[in-house]
Amino acid sequence: MVFNSLTFLVFFVVLLVLHHLPFLSWRAKKVNLLIASYVFYAAWNPPFILLLWASTIVDWFIARGIYGARDKSRAVRRSWLVISVAVNIGFIGFFKYGEFLLQNWQALMSTFGIVYVPPEWNIVLPVGISFYTFVTMSYTLDVYLGRARPIPSFLNYALFVTFFPHLVAGPIVRPTQLVPQFDEPKQANRSQLLWGLGLMILGLFEKVVIADGGLSSAADSVFAAEKPVGFWDAWLGTLAFSGQIFCDFAGYSTIAVGAALCLGFGLPDNFRMPYAAIGFSDFWRRWHISLSTWLRDYLYIPLGGNRGTEVRTYVNLMLTMLLGGLWHGARWTFVVWGGLHGLYLAVERWIRDRTGIAGDPVHWFNRLTLVLVTYLLVNITWVFFRAHSFEGAARMLSGMVGLAPDAEPLLPTIYMIKVAVLVTAIVATHWWMRDRELERVVSRTPWWVTGLAAAAMLFAVIVTQGSGTAFIYFQF
Amino acid sequence: MGNSGHWTEEVTVREIPRARLVAMSWLVLALVVVGVAAWEWKMRTVGLVVGDLDDSKAQWAVERRKIAAGHFDDVVLVGSSRILFDTNLDVFEEVSGRRPIQLALAGTNPRPILTAFANDPGFRSLVIVDVTPDIYFGDWLGIPEFSGVVDYWKVQSPSERFGNEVGIFLSRQLAFLDSDYTLPKLIDQLDVPNRGDIVRPYLSVWKVWETNDDRQTYLWSGIERNERLRQHARTVWGPFDGAPMDPKAIDRAIQESVEAVRKIRAHGGEVVFIRPPSAGLYYEHEQRAAPRGKTWDRLLRETGAFGIHFEDYPEMRALDVPEWSHLSRDSAKAFTRAYAQVLMKEVPRLHEPPRRKS
Repeated sequence: MVFNSLTFLVFFVVLLVLHHLPFLSWRAKKVNLLIASYVFYAAWNPPFILLLWASTIVDWFIARGIYGARDKSRAVRRSWLVISVAVNIGFIGFFKYGEFLLQNWQALMSTFGIVYVPPEWNIVLPVGISFYTFVTMSYTLDVYLGRARPIPSFLNYALFVTFFPHLVAGPIVRPTQLVPQFDEPKQANRSQLLWGLGLMILGLFEKVVIADGGLSSAADSVFAAEKPVGFWDAWLGTLAFSGQIFCDFAGYSTIAVGAALCLGFGLPDNFRMPYAAIGFSDFWRRWHISLSTWLRDYLYIPLGGNRGTEVRTYVNLMLTMLLGGLWHGARWTFVVWGGLHGLYLAVERWIRDRTGIAGDPVHWFNRLTLVLVTYLLVNITWVFFRAHSFEGAARMLSGMVGLAPDAEPLLPTIYMIKVAVLVTAIVATHWWMRDRELERVVSRTPWWVTGLAAAAMLFAVIVTQGSGTAFIYFQF
Repeated sequence: MGNSGHWTEEVTVREIPRARLVAMSWLVLALVVVGVAAWEWKMRTVGLVVGDLDDSKAQWAVERRKIAAGHFDDVVLVGSSRILFDTNLDVFEEVSGRRPIQLALAGTNPRPILTAFANDPGFRSLVIVDVTPDIYFGDWLGIPEFSGVVDYWKVQSPSERFGNEVGIFLSRQLAFLDSDYTLPKLIDQLDVPNRGDIVRPYLSVWKVWETNDDRQTYLWSGIERNERLRQHARTVWGPFDGAPMDPKAIDRAIQESVEAVRKIRAHGGEVVFIRPPSAGLYYEHEQRAAPRGKTWDRLLRETGAFGIHFEDYPEMRALDVPEWSHLSRDSAKAFTRAYAQVLMKEVPRLHEPPRRKS
């Protein structure tokens, strides 16, 4: 189920009541949470819960196998790890990349003059498979790398994998962040509950009002165009998507954090005002933090990170970002998106290494200029992320550099106004909040001002109504 | 390490603002209650009513499942908005003793649904098919909101089904829950100057219908009462340029219909076509774009099916069509009574026991 649905509203109220019943044991409450998480997942497509169970059980046994072989040769432990990676990547490979692989195989064969017609592919992508697979893999990898022992309790382990707030779209939690929280009874106190609800309102506002209600129509109109796109339409469509993808995904993460907090649990931040990033290493410390740190810890560093030669470091960086791009979806445009980010990171690293510049500029104007340049370059990457083909991306980029002066106008004025107002507000908010924490800002703001803002957001969510549109990252 | 076997220094602990959260929450609650009450009042003044359930794929799926379960009276309506708005299910039931399943969809070509029934060997009921010429004889399949509707009832998730039930419950209490009166739609309805020949959101379809239980749908009373809304709807249905429809598209539509009727009859079902009334410039446009001889008459001749054209029945011609495409609520009752009586005379199976699969 999706957070922005009436079904979730009912589900969450029932779960909150169950979790706060005074007479239930901690074990019974954890069982409740586990069952509720399975219900949360199965409410979308019940059969796919089998995949979730399979992924959970495989890594449970493999982690124990790896730990049991700790005194044996590295080859034995590595064999266990290979099984885990093969099973997990196998699931993703089949469900997410199967059709993509067949299509590319067909294209490859045709270059050799061999006619190969792939079978019709009617496999539905299980929602959230990329997220929960990374969660289970992080557990096995942590045990393999000696960062953790296997979790003694299967209940705690299964709940860690399945805990509904993070299950289908992150944050991609690590065992170290969440599992210890299941050791002792957890129940939100009044402040946690109220602040959790506040975060849920904020997340719903971002998703329902800004992403779906405010920006999606402009982005959809422009990216769906099959004719040349003019300068203003191309830029406004791309800016609209930049706001939409942020508010959609950050909205989800904020609701997830809020929902977990209402139950007494802490989930990590997944976004920290990314459109105020100065440079791309800063951007990736602020955008989808749980994925970027996962890729850093389980891919970039094992590849050698920056410990080898300079060339090797750039290769590692690029490989990590290309795979990060492919993680998002089975399309070459996602790979190019990742590759562009890899290129940006490499160039930034090269400049910093050559000039010795470290840290951010002191003067606010220089900082703001770099923020806007970074945001501009990020928008170029969003074209590849959102376009479904290279033709579509080329059409957009041509428009953005003014190569389609005779293109017919696409966006109605009302959409242009909405994009201009909302995207300016998003970037300005990121700039103002760049070095601030939301909790600290709320602490310093008069309570009635925050109350007015929260009421306005909740009212806007209610009158926008929303149609229960799925979150964009569900498809990844 | 903690009991869990993991290091605990990375455990996520969320900071809570040191603020008057309780007072803040009471303020939020009070303001939202007042705001929603005011919004509800405002929406009722524009004509929204409680119990208007908002049509959707989910509502359609509820009706479609009645057929799959065999819980229906052997009569199914498919079509676009005309048969949807212009049929009163109670009146039809009163005349024929059978309550039809309403599967027509606004802004949607009914042919894919007709074809789906044709391809279901278990389907052996009477299908009444609405022929709105510029939709039925064209290649356009319909508005995006209803895309994929034919199979949606089979793939709808449990979450969506439950959510629909909660939505229905809330719609019976609150009038403002209407997908045509959401904040983004109201903003898009601002009429501001545009560049070039852009299709303005202002000229998108605004609220024109009201849906109750069993997808009983009426032309929204606001259209009947409010001249501005009525004029807006007429403008949106245009342009009424009378440009002839593509003859090849007409051929495809008729060929598809012939095949569907043949298959449905082979299973033991029957098909009847119906052409509901239109008026004003819309009617004149249809006369030129899709002349009866090249479309309707040919459809009946080639399919061998029975059809009811409103022009052929005096009692169906003198009805009120406020925005030129759909009947007023009272006229919909009169039209239903008239066409149901014709069907009782002309379709013998309506006097026989239902043939649906049990």
